[in-house]
Formats: sequence, structure tokens, C-alpha cells
Amino acid sequence: MSDRILSRRDVVKGAAVSVAAVGMAASPGFQQFALAEASTVIAGYGVTTSQLKDWSIMTKSLGLEMKWTGTDADIGTYMRDVISNDLGETHDIFIFDGGTEDILGPQGYYAVLDEDHPQLTLWGRTADSWKRTDLLRDEAGVQYGVPVIGNGDSFGYFPDKIGANPNGMDEIPWAMMYESDKTLGRVSMDRSWLLSSTEVGNFLKANNRAQIADNSDMTGEEARVVADYAVERKKAGQFRTLHQSFEEQVQLLSNREIDIINCWEPATKNANIELGADLVRYAFTVEGYYKWGHGAYCHTKALDRGNLDNIYKMLNYYMSGEYRAYQAEQRGYAGPNMDLGVEFATANGWTAEQIENLKWTETKVNKKFEKPFFGKPAAKHSAEMEEEWQRFLNA
Amino acid sequence: MRGWYSNFVSAGWVVPVFTVVWIGLVVVPLLIMVLFSFVEIRDYRVVYDLTLKNWESLIDSGRWISVVRTLRVTAVITLIEILVAFPFALWLAKGCKSKNVKAAIITLLTIPFFLDPSSRTIVWRAILGKSGIINTVFIELGLIDQPMEWLLFSEFAVHFGMIAPYFPTMVFPIYLVLTLIDDDYLQASQDLGASPLQTLIHIILPLALPGIVAGIVFTMVPLMAAFVEPGMLGGGFVNLLGESVEAALRNLKYPTAAALSAVVIALLAVLLTALVLILRRRGSLGAIFVTLKR
Repeated sequence: MSDRILSRRDVVKGAAVSVAAVGMAASPGFQQFALAEASTVIAGYGVTTSQLKDWSIMTKSLGLEMKWTGTDADIGTYMRDVISNDLGETHDIFIFDGGTEDILGPQGYYAVLDEDHPQLTLWGRTADSWKRTDLLRDEAGVQYGVPVIGNGDSFGYFPDKIGANPNGMDEIPWAMMYESDKTLGRVSMDRSWLLSSTEVGNFLKANNRAQIADNSDMTGEEARVVADYAVERKKAGQFRTLHQSFEEQVQLLSNREIDIINCWEPATKNANIELGADLVRYAFTVEGYYKWGHGAYCHTKALDRGNLDNIYKMLNYYMSGEYRAYQAEQRGYAGPNMDLGVEFATANGWTAEQIENLKWTETKVNKKFEKPFFGKPAAKHSAEMEEEWQRFLNA
Repeated sequence: MRGWYSNFVSAGWVVPVFTVVWIGLVVVPLLIMVLFSFVEIRDYRVVYDLTLKNWESLIDSGRWISVVRTLRVTAVITLIEILVAFPFALWLAKGCKSKNVKAAIITLLTIPFFLDPSSRTIVWRAILGKSGIINTVFIELGLIDQPMEWLLFSEFAVHFGMIAPYFPTMVFPIYLVLTLIDDDYLQASQDLGASPLQTLIHIILPLALPGIVAGIVFTMVPLMAAFVEPGMLGGGFVNLLGESVEAALRNLKYPTAAALSAVVIALLAVLLTALVLILRRRGSLGAIFVTLKR
């Protein structure tokens, strides 16, 4: 009897949880999806950003239907739903920031990817830089996921405020965020330890200001050094505010409440809609990026439901030109096989500007990943890192 | 009907049933929560080995700072609310003669209860921000050269943003008690030569004490758990206990959240005990209510 099964039985079985199960069944977000044999309905759970805004496009081309339960980028919630709420009972595919497979793979929640599955036709032509990253494989190198989308996160800035080229092609040092007089009191930093503490760690490491082996998985001592520096900068008045949500990112930029902010790239796009084209730029940096990539994983409990072919057809779709083109167009995110995206757009009569934007998305991501990158959502030392980051938040 | 009511009130089973239900629904979950603060989470799973780590981490992680800050902010806002709400409630109960005006004001006071905290708070960011309404008007009028940045993302902003939403919870209990005070007491005090100030201090305030205490409880308790206003208006500089609990829950650190919640409950218990002791010096709560009406 595996540890996973024991744990689930401990937690899930019993009268109390029967009540919870009734509640979940009644909840629209956790409806029991019909899982008929060889069902053409794929039940998915994960981050909403990985989804097409209109799944009927996929239904038309693949004949499958997606039933999606969305969550945010909060890894705590995600892990709770997979482990404690046992969503594998009702969902086939799970999509989240790569890194969760380090825990959920060996513990038996994610199924090992069958790279030779006949429906996984695009696997062979997908570049190793996308499919063989440690964001999709566990520490032993076992492959669990297929790549969906990814990006290198940095910061948005107003070029005129920091004296940078308005075309946005300058490589800006992270010092502009943390200790430049030009931005003193004009910075907003994400509250998230996962993003901000690893970015500060990378800055200190890259500039030989601290001995940090892996800034995406810092030991308690390393995280303490990072938090000490952040506290010092907070007390020096470097930060105007700390933000928490995407909406806040957009508002802070749109109101020009700040001049520089570590944020998601779409926040700069949204702000520019209000402020005017290209007024805010998303930085190419000197020291590197917080790399994230969504992986799509098949749950072990979905292996025997009789719809495995369709599940793999869906996994394959995430690497296809159609998905790639629409994702890049709708959200600006890159992913594997961008060339297929361009091919799809060209064949389907997209405008020259749309096609150019697709090409730029690929060029941009390739340029970013010439630099160091980091990011490990399920870091071993996450508890210590979060604990130390609290000192910064409470200071 | 009266017989049924009398039987119900005098029935001997009410107290034991209430006690059992209350213990089951309130006391036992609280005890479980406290016990939970002594276990650990490893790899997103609960490990049932007893440990003091979560309590130690309240010190190491600086969460104790947010405890102290929460007490300070809560005390200041509660005091401001009393100072503003008492005269307002006194005017509403004894000074306002128009029933329509009174009804309109009471209706207006319920508005904060209908608004989602995020919605009512986000508005202040547009008003208090660097390019918000206040700064824009002041600059246009030539009163200032540079925007007043301290208006937003500061302790001032948090205090300011929390005063209005918690005003009704202070006003209503005081208003209700004041309406119960018989006007003949006030008239008698005046007839005996007492000044308005003497009537206020020696007649109104002692009789209004239950309402003031209730107002403090209804205002202070939710203030101790507030996290929306501090989060949105404090800009990360006014982390309060509610935010610490929320952050711990978000990171699946349930034992840490349990320890923090236990701290909140302990603090409230101490404060409420102090209030009860203060009241006891003036007789029991029930006795005060009896004296409100002749």
C-alpha cells in the first residue's frame, strides 16, 4: 500500500469528508464531470492562463471538448486540491507551473509520460529546450509533463523615468529595481516569496554580493541574506508599495503610481492600452529572468478510464500550431513549436501584423533565455524561504 | 401561548443543551485549532509529530511585529471610532427630532455592510493616489507643488480606509442604549442644577457603558482580523495579523495560521476580560439595563 493511498484514506475517508464531498458535488467549480469510457470530454484542472479563450476552436479541429476547472497561480491551493481533495478522481489533465512534478510525480499523482504514445505526434519535433527542462521532469529525470506555455518574467518600466531607450531593447540591470536613486520610492515589488525573493537572490548572486548556490531553492541561511537585503532596501525607502494581484499591477502602471514593477508581461500590455502604445516596456535584463513554464500532466487515475487516446490527443494539442498561434495572439505567451504557430497563422489568412507578432514572441523568448534563468515552484526549501520573506513583509 | 413560552423559558434542558452545542460548535474547534499549531507541514502534508516550531517561527519570521502593530492600529481606530461615534449616536438618539432624518441616517449607516471590502477599498486608491483626486485638486489650487505621497500606502491610509467601514459597528450599539435612557433622568439632572457636561459624565456615560462596550467588541474583533484594507492601502508597510494568517493559509502553512489565530484569540480574551472587569465595577450588565428604564 503506497504512502499516497494511505494518506488519502486517512484524510478523505470518513463521515466528515463525506459531507465535504457532497458540498463539492454541489459546487459548480467541482462538478463531477461525466467520465464515460472513451469520452471525448477531457476534464482539466489548473491555471487559467493556459487555456484558450474559446475552446470551440479546438473542438472543431480535434473533436474533443474541454471541461476546465480553473485555479490561480497559488501553489498551495493547487497542491491541496490534487493531494487532499483528490481531484484525480474527476479530472484527467492537470496544468500548473513546472516543478510540481518533483513532488506529485514520485508520489504517484502524475503519470509518467508515454513519449511513444501514437497520439503524441508532435513530441519528436519539439525542441529539447522546451520539453527536456527540469520544469517537466523530476530530479531523477523522469518525464511527466508536456510543455504548454512559458516566459521569462522580469519587470515593467517607463523608459523616460530611468533614462533607457524607448524602444525597450536595452538590457536593464535589476539594480534599477532595488537600489537605483532614479527609482527610489518609485518601485513596486510583488509580495510573493516565490517570485520576489528568488529575483532578489539572483541579483545578489549575479553581482557576487552573496553566496547562493541556487536562488530558486535557497537554504534558510541563504534566504536570510536575501531577506536582510530586502528589509534594508525597504527601510531605505526604495519601495513605493508591494502588490499582490495582476489587477494591481495594471492599476499601478496605468495610474503611474510607480515607475518600475516586477510583474507579468501582460500587465504592461494592458497598461499600454490605457496609456498609449509602448509607453511601458517589459525589461530585457542583465542578470536573468524568473523562468516559468506550464506543464500539462496526465493523472495516474485517468490511465484506466478508457479515454487515454483522447487525453494524449489533448496533450499533443498543447504543442500544436493552432494552440500556439491563439495563445500567443491572446496572451502574448510563447511555447514549443512557435514555427508551427506561424505556419498555422499563415495558412489561415492571419494578417501580416499578427504573423509578425507571433515571430516576435519567439524572438523575444529566445533572447531572454540567453541569460540565466531560475524558478522552482515546489522548492525543497520553500518553507524556509517563505519564513524569511515574512520578515521582509513584516518589516 | 404564554404557557408554552413559560414552559420553554423555565425548562431545565435549555442550559445543558446550549452548553453542549456551544462546546461542540465553538470550543472544540478552537481546541483543535490550538492543537494544530503544534504539528508540522512537510511537502504539503500534515505530519503529526508534536513540535514548537510554529510558535518559534512567530518570533523568527517577524510575525510578532505584526501582532504588536495590529494591537496598536486596532486600539487607535477603536478610540477614534468611540470619539466620533458617541457624540453622533447621542445626537441621533436624543437630538435628532425628525423621524425621517433618523430613518435615513440609519439606512445610510448600513451601506458598508452591503459592500464587498475589496470594492469599497479599491476606490480609495484612486482618490488618495499620487495622481488621485485629492492630489490633483490640491495641485490645481496651488496648495501644494508635489503630490502628497503619504496619502496612500501608509499607516495613515490604512487608518483612514478603516474608519468608515467600522463606524456603524460602533454607532449602532451606543445608539440603541442611548435610546433606552429615559428622558426623565436627563430632565431631573437638569432640574437639580447639573450642567450639560455633568449630566453627560454622571448620567449618560454610565448608562451608555453597555453600548460602548458592545461597540468596542463589535468593532475591535473584526479589526483584529482585517486584511483587505491593510493590504490594499498599506502597500506592504502595514502588515497586520489578518494578512499574516491569510499568507500562511495561502502557503498551506495551516499550523502557522493556527498559531497566529490562537494569538488573536488569546489577545481578544485578555481584552474582553479587562472590559468585563471594568463593567463589573459598575455592577453587572443586566443591572445597568434595568436602570435604563424606570
